[in-house]
Amino acid sequence: MPRKTVLWTALASLIIISLLLGGCGAKTPQATSVATQPPATTEEATQTPGGRKVVTLIYPQEFDNLSPLYTSMWFSWTTWQMFLHWAWEFDENNEPFPVLVTEIPSIENGGISADGRIITMKLRDDIKWSDNVPITADDFIFTWEMAVSPKNAVASTYPYDLIESVVAPDPQTVVVTFTDPFAPWLATLWHGILPAHVLQPVYDAEGTIDNADWNKNPTVGCGPYVFAKWESGSYARFVRNENYWGTPAKIDEIFIRFVPDDASQVAALKAGDADLGTFIAYSDVPALQDAGLKIMIEPSGYSEWMFFLVNEEKGHPALLDVNVRKAIALAIDRDAINRDLFFGLTSVPASFWDAMPFYNNPPLENYPYDPAEAKRLLDAAGWVDSNGDGTRDKGGVELELTHATTIRSVRQDAQAVMQQQLAEVGIKLNILSVDDTLFFGSYADGGPAALGEYDIMEWSDGPMFPDPDIYYWLCSQIPSDENPTGENWFYLCDQELDRLIQLQSTQVDVNARQKTISQINQLFYDKVYFIGLWQDPDVYAVGPRLINAKFSGVTMFFNIGEWDLAK
Amino acid sequence: MTRYIFKRLLQGIPLLFVISIILFALMMNMGDPVATMGGRRVTRAADYQRLRRQLGLDKPIYTQYLYWLIGNDWTKVDLDGDGIAETSGIRHGVLRGDFGTSLVNRGMPVLSVIAERLPNTLLLMVASEVIIILGALLVGVYSALRQYSAMDSVITTLSFIGYSMPVFFIALLSMYIFAVLFKRWGLPYLPTVGMFDPQIGKTPGQVLLHMVLPVLSISIISFAEYSRYIRSTMLEVMSQDYIRTARSKGLPPPLIIYVHALKNASIPIVTVIGLDLPFLLGGAVVTERIFAWPGMGRLFLDYLSRSDTPVVMGILVLIAVAVVVFQIITDVVYAWLDPRIRYET
Repeated sequence: MPRKTVLWTALASLIIISLLLGGCGAKTPQATSVATQPPATTEEATQTPGGRKVVTLIYPQEFDNLSPLYTSMWFSWTTWQMFLHWAWEFDENNEPFPVLVTEIPSIENGGISADGRIITMKLRDDIKWSDNVPITADDFIFTWEMAVSPKNAVASTYPYDLIESVVAPDPQTVVVTFTDPFAPWLATLWHGILPAHVLQPVYDAEGTIDNADWNKNPTVGCGPYVFAKWESGSYARFVRNENYWGTPAKIDEIFIRFVPDDASQVAALKAGDADLGTFIAYSDVPALQDAGLKIMIEPSGYSEWMFFLVNEEKGHPALLDVNVRKAIALAIDRDAINRDLFFGLTSVPASFWDAMPFYNNPPLENYPYDPAEAKRLLDAAGWVDSNGDGTRDKGGVELELTHATTIRSVRQDAQAVMQQQLAEVGIKLNILSVDDTLFFGSYADGGPAALGEYDIMEWSDGPMFPDPDIYYWLCSQIPSDENPTGENWFYLCDQELDRLIQLQSTQVDVNARQKTISQINQLFYDKVYFIGLWQDPDVYAVGPRLINAKFSGVTMFFNIGEWDLAK
Repeated sequence: MTRYIFKRLLQGIPLLFVISIILFALMMNMGDPVATMGGRRVTRAADYQRLRRQLGLDKPIYTQYLYWLIGNDWTKVDLDGDGIAETSGIRHGVLRGDFGTSLVNRGMPVLSVIAERLPNTLLLMVASEVIIILGALLVGVYSALRQYSAMDSVITTLSFIGYSMPVFFIALLSMYIFAVLFKRWGLPYLPTVGMFDPQIGKTPGQVLLHMVLPVLSISIISFAEYSRYIRSTMLEVMSQDYIRTARSKGLPPPLIIYVHALKNASIPIVTVIGLDLPFLLGGAVVTERIFAWPGMGRLFLDYLSRSDTPVVMGILVLIAVAVVVFQIITDVVYAWLDPRIRYET
């Protein structure tokens, strides 16, 4: 065969092989319409090819651990309604409902002692692990012991390190005694229980459960699904728990695929290769809706905030003046940021308890966009442009502030907008973007935010949702060489604020606590210690096949046992 | 040759030590792994102190390097924070084959973390490399033999286009065309992401199907680069006197091209391939991220962003060892290709 023909044949073969591989095994789709209607709400089940119902979820980040004690990742939290349960969980309105307990403890039902220190829980008598071993108070005691054991490098000992004792007068009763009255117990306790019969032997043999196989392969659980497999970087599978003590799940398998790229997640959702997308970027919402997916937004308690460093020694002198802080709030068109960067899907939070109306009561109104008033306030405060360089000054000090946040692109976009708007009122904003692990580095590690190097810091935060507890602004939390782990990176010490924050964390009476939080709410507003930028809810893209899915801001997939596939 | 190889291996040892020290120092200044262990919140102060102590991060950097290198089972550590070092260390150190455990995936041995991803990377990268080399050889040789022809011009143009395009663009474009749009148009389509369809399961056919787009994305750019190399070296070799002599002796053209010319033209290519091969272990970060392929590239990026020093050091040391080994292999292949090359020991 002539040489020329050989080369052409080889090239053509390569191309043909590629095309054949593309066609081989690929399905030719049914004629599908690109519908824009929301998915069907019928509860009729459907069978997929092969007879199994498999729902595919996309996670942009892979979880680092599946044990409730060893991770704080949102993505890990979502699995605890699949293969585990919390003692009580939270519905789509973020209201608690009992799961492993017969009722939520309260003062009325005797579940909370008068002094607020003792919580008594009554467990259901029909709950069991997937290997048929009953769930008893011993599992709760074991969970507490493991959380506080110095031999376990758990992600957080909070709030278990505040507990004096956990005892079981009988197998169905758990009595938790706190050292001091602890108001946030409902939101912070029992985020997943450990199976004592599986992990106690490990602890006894190795002296720790850090390396327990169960942390990565929790094959014994108590949820509507059981863990099946987790392949690093690729996927995790949860299959229906045939020994589930509750109503059996409708789906055969939950398949979680780890897809770190936003554009790839969107492509997979549009192609129907997944039924649920998580952490959807707002810029992708229109395209996904056009492709027939439903966007569901669930308050998570988080919002984006600009925090001011208010300290005579460390901070800019201008920020000591509440009128300057107020002027900054008035000079930034935050509604426009929400409209343009978030397509109007979020709004400006006026209160740190924006997602908790009970505590944002009376509800605060946002400072409006009023650059004229901002200029007036700055003039009255003595900050004027005396040298004609476009930036205000006072006593020889330029009104030049450093604003730092992480490298997330939407934050950088917002920084650019704010820089421009503040420049219009004579404030020069130097903007910085820093990698997460550097930005949030500790005082001891030279973390710039912790060291007080930034006048304005920005990140997403909220109270201990769904509990209103906060603690950052405590005077005792200001970092120093003597207190390098302090978390009050605003270096703010407001005695009245400090008193109120300490008070609310001890108030187990909800109404009394609500009054205290309201005072804190008003104080934050009046003194403008921080400014709300946008709400930061959880955003899900739900494919047309998936029905009955509801979401909670706390126990995200709380009704995953009811999820089903549309016909 | 054996003495030469042995000598090169011995020279590699101090080199690897120096590399490990530099990398370790860099990693320790790349961020704080405990800072982001609080999930969506900053890690609480009490947890921060405890975790740094329990994970050995409160030690000076030189002590941490020492423990990483030779382990800490010969000393005692303070785990409970009472100031008394009463607990025996359990680490054996890299020199005894213990790369430690991941800080992020608490308790997971580093080698296990890497071993889970390495086969996926080798599958993707070796397949891509084979396609690149074979395709580049064919196209490069053809271009050299048909210099300035219409086809050579087309190939040259396409090569430059392919070489100029960023890999993320090729990856996303191919995904949208062959996966999303083809499906919408009712044509046979390729999958978007992952290694297999969960409805069908992880079969060889499924993995092969899911490899098409990522391999295509990786191949297009390097294919262009390699084919230009081969074309250039072939042109140089084909103009040599010994090729003219071979022709005038009446040797068959395929023998001249593929035995005499290509063998000598391959020497520079061997260098390029030899330098590239160890980096196959590092995977293709962008491609793996876009196609959600669970390989070493993504592993490195994910764990680097979490400042997981043990895992990142494990990957970097692995690549460093591979570079040293493949350099030696390259030299050996050189000697085989060109009998004039002999190494003095």
